[in-house]
Amino acid sequence: MIKVALAGQPNCGKSTIFNLISGLKQHIANYPGVTVEKKSGTFSHQGETIEVVDLPGTYSFSSYSLEERVAKEFILNEEPDIIVNVVDASNIKRNLYLTFQLLEIGKPVVVVLNMMDVAARRGMDIDVQKIARMLSCPVVPASGARGEGKEAIVEAIMQAKTTPYNEFKINYEELEPLIEETQALITTDSPQASRRWLAIKALEGDSVILEKLPKVTLAIREKCLDFHRQYDKDVESFLAAMRYDSADVIYHQSVVEKQQGKKTATDIADGLILNRWLSFPILFLIIFLIYQSSIVYGYKLTDYTWPLLAAFKNFIIGISPEADFTQVPMITDFAIWMVNSANALLNYIPIFLILFALIAILEDVGYMPRMAFILDRIFKKFGLHGQSTLPLVLGGAFVGGCAVPGIMATKGIADERARMATILSVPYMNCLAKVPFYTLLLGAFFEAQMALMMFFISTATLFIALIVAKILTTTVLKTRETSPFVMELPPYHLPTFKGVIFRAFERVWMYIKKVGTIVLAVAIVLFAMLELPGLSDEQKVAYEARSDALLTSFYAQAAKTSYGEQLSTRESVSGLLNTYDDYRARRMSASPAQAGNIDADFEAKAPFYMTFIKPPADDAEAKTINRQLRNLSRDRRGILQEMKNDKVESSLLGFIGRSLEPVTQFAGFDWKINVAFLSSFAARESAVATLGSIYENNAADNLRAEEAMAQNSGYTPLHAAAIIIFMLLTPPCIATMIVVKLQTGSYKWMLFAIFFPITLGFLAASLIFTLGTGFGWSGVEAFALFYGTVIALALFMGSLPQKRINWSGGFTKSILNKS
Amino acid sequence: MCLDELASGTLCRIIKVHAHDALKYKLLDMGFVSGAQVSVVREAPLYDPMELKIHNYLLSLRKSEAKLVEVELV
Repeated sequence: MIKVALAGQPNCGKSTIFNLISGLKQHIANYPGVTVEKKSGTFSHQGETIEVVDLPGTYSFSSYSLEERVAKEFILNEEPDIIVNVVDASNIKRNLYLTFQLLEIGKPVVVVLNMMDVAARRGMDIDVQKIARMLSCPVVPASGARGEGKEAIVEAIMQAKTTPYNEFKINYEELEPLIEETQALITTDSPQASRRWLAIKALEGDSVILEKLPKVTLAIREKCLDFHRQYDKDVESFLAAMRYDSADVIYHQSVVEKQQGKKTATDIADGLILNRWLSFPILFLIIFLIYQSSIVYGYKLTDYTWPLLAAFKNFIIGISPEADFTQVPMITDFAIWMVNSANALLNYIPIFLILFALIAILEDVGYMPRMAFILDRIFKKFGLHGQSTLPLVLGGAFVGGCAVPGIMATKGIADERARMATILSVPYMNCLAKVPFYTLLLGAFFEAQMALMMFFISTATLFIALIVAKILTTTVLKTRETSPFVMELPPYHLPTFKGVIFRAFERVWMYIKKVGTIVLAVAIVLFAMLELPGLSDEQKVAYEARSDALLTSFYAQAAKTSYGEQLSTRESVSGLLNTYDDYRARRMSASPAQAGNIDADFEAKAPFYMTFIKPPADDAEAKTINRQLRNLSRDRRGILQEMKNDKVESSLLGFIGRSLEPVTQFAGFDWKINVAFLSSFAARESAVATLGSIYENNAADNLRAEEAMAQNSGYTPLHAAAIIIFMLLTPPCIATMIVVKLQTGSYKWMLFAIFFPITLGFLAASLIFTLGTGFGWSGVEAFALFYGTVIALALFMGSLPQKRINWSGGFTKSILNKS
Repeated sequence: MCLDELASGTLCRIIKVHAHDALKYKLLDMGFVSGAQVSVVREAPLYDPMELKIHNYLLSLRKSEAKLVEVELV
């Protein structure tokens, strides 16, 4: 077997070459440093198995970033036979800097000159054979985007395996004696890699290599200081300069630029896109278009996908055991609960699909780093990064977004501290699923000031997120690694349709797989907590008596008709009622065109029941029963609703809600609100459903949820303002928390992301509610005050001077460490 | 003279990089070696960071970091 390591700088098209030769698909992006995980593919050629491992894209082979460490440790520990170095032919000089570092490792290198088409378009004439001669290694021209060069690359790998290889050496002139001395220090029990390479890396102060040579670290450090004293140069700068000089020699001898000085397409595009006056309008336009087409149009698309989900729900209800009048089997309740939880998530798939496709396009085109370039100055003030823009927008910069894709889009942020701060502040943005909740509360308590309140709600979130980011970066994230804002602005590329679509589906699938399973697990726990311990025996008897009374009156009415005999048992009436409810549910979620089919279906399945559900025009008796049936169905719903409320009230979750009351009363929350917040953890939609079901005390009065809440809750608008403030800051939904765990790689941060917002939200709500009660503020006044405070705080924090280390000098680290 | 002082369109040559640790390595790797030529393409719309062209590719650098790069005009 031949083990091949694929190495190259960011934006060199390494991923496309990887897909080309191994035939496997992988994330492809036009954004520095997006490939962080190791991917490998195995294939065979002429009976030989070849394994290709895709190393992370790195500009260099030192150890100053995680990617570089990962790449180097792979070379050291896994001993690949051949290194395939992908080089961007249109940016050959900087790419060759890495090539020289790879050649030094001492393993056979095959250079793949990728993007030859782009280089040709830019008027670059590259003498491939000359480069091969100068580097004494095979050089294969290719174009990953066009699928050209696969055979030649595989052929070169096969040949490289069998051809004897002499170790490659750069003559480092005045450093040579030092390299030889260091080489002598490295004993034979060291790793199997080239000793010269180890010596050079050790002199560079490379931590991965020095860790492997603990005995000689001090001696090597001493030699470096000697070199500095003798030549007034430090080893790292000297080596970098030598390698760039070598790359320059190759560039000058083998590349002819026919359009030198002429503006490239990228230069012209940047002239517009990064123009001082045009950049912001263009940026807003792009953000608006993304938002409009994913959130707004995607939401409209759910009108078409929702019937599918509703049909799925009806199907599950259909195969669950039927209710015996007011006695619904728990398994049926459970099935409906699970389907509702799953549907709440699946409903967002069209939005995610559009969103992920658009993000993939932006990544491939090369706009992402430009966005960071334009906005960096603002975000820097809050400890964030220019690249935080998109995550925050997706999280919900306008009326609503979703934190899940927002947090997933933080992957490319180069600065670790800013990335963490972005992950932890995106959940404060306006979640789409919170909108129905706001609408419910605003409709109930702020009908006159709805527009103003909605404006407050939708604009406050960005400022809250910025404040949180600033607080976190100056406290808990203070010691996190920051990396310098040295970011490549890669040339613009046209994205490929296949690449974009593939990536969009891949990300959606990941969302369903990772988030879906855990959301369902939490849904099971919540179901148990809402269901147990269930109704008391007295309650059961009381409800049963009421049910019997309803049935008895129905029998009596039915007995007056000729159908009386057939409708005189609990079984037959339950069956009729269930068929009636099922029929109505199906008709409601069906299009007019399907209605006929449903009718025919039911006629075939239950012809007798259909006589009453859709009574023939000439059958007055059937019509009477139809009327009775409608009343009975409504009364049954009423009883079921009351039973549910009693069950919730005595449930574990209800108990928790009650026991939180002594604390939450400061924010004006009673146990019902507590239960709604607790149950909204699985999916925020359920907050509205829970509140709605708690307040619709008597289904017979047919009030809308808003009206029911305003009348039955006993809340004032000030209560509502406190609830909205709490909801603005919290609660994070479980799907978001899973993504936080995935992106931070730690449960600790996930727990932090749960409890920090809850604390913050509770404190803010309590403060506003307590002060509001004391000073007699109205709901709007209290909320306006909260809004004003948030804006003022954000502006104040943004104006605080950035504490950055931009001085140098002083004692060296070794002295400081000793003291 | 430091890189952050230069106006758009200026071409200069690097004398020395005064950065330390991670920033120094990063700048060296991106080609900020003594003698390399850098041209200032433009400032960001909000005047910071700046866009540079070095070794025939484009790169953005905050001014606080450009301050650490000593240059001379060509």
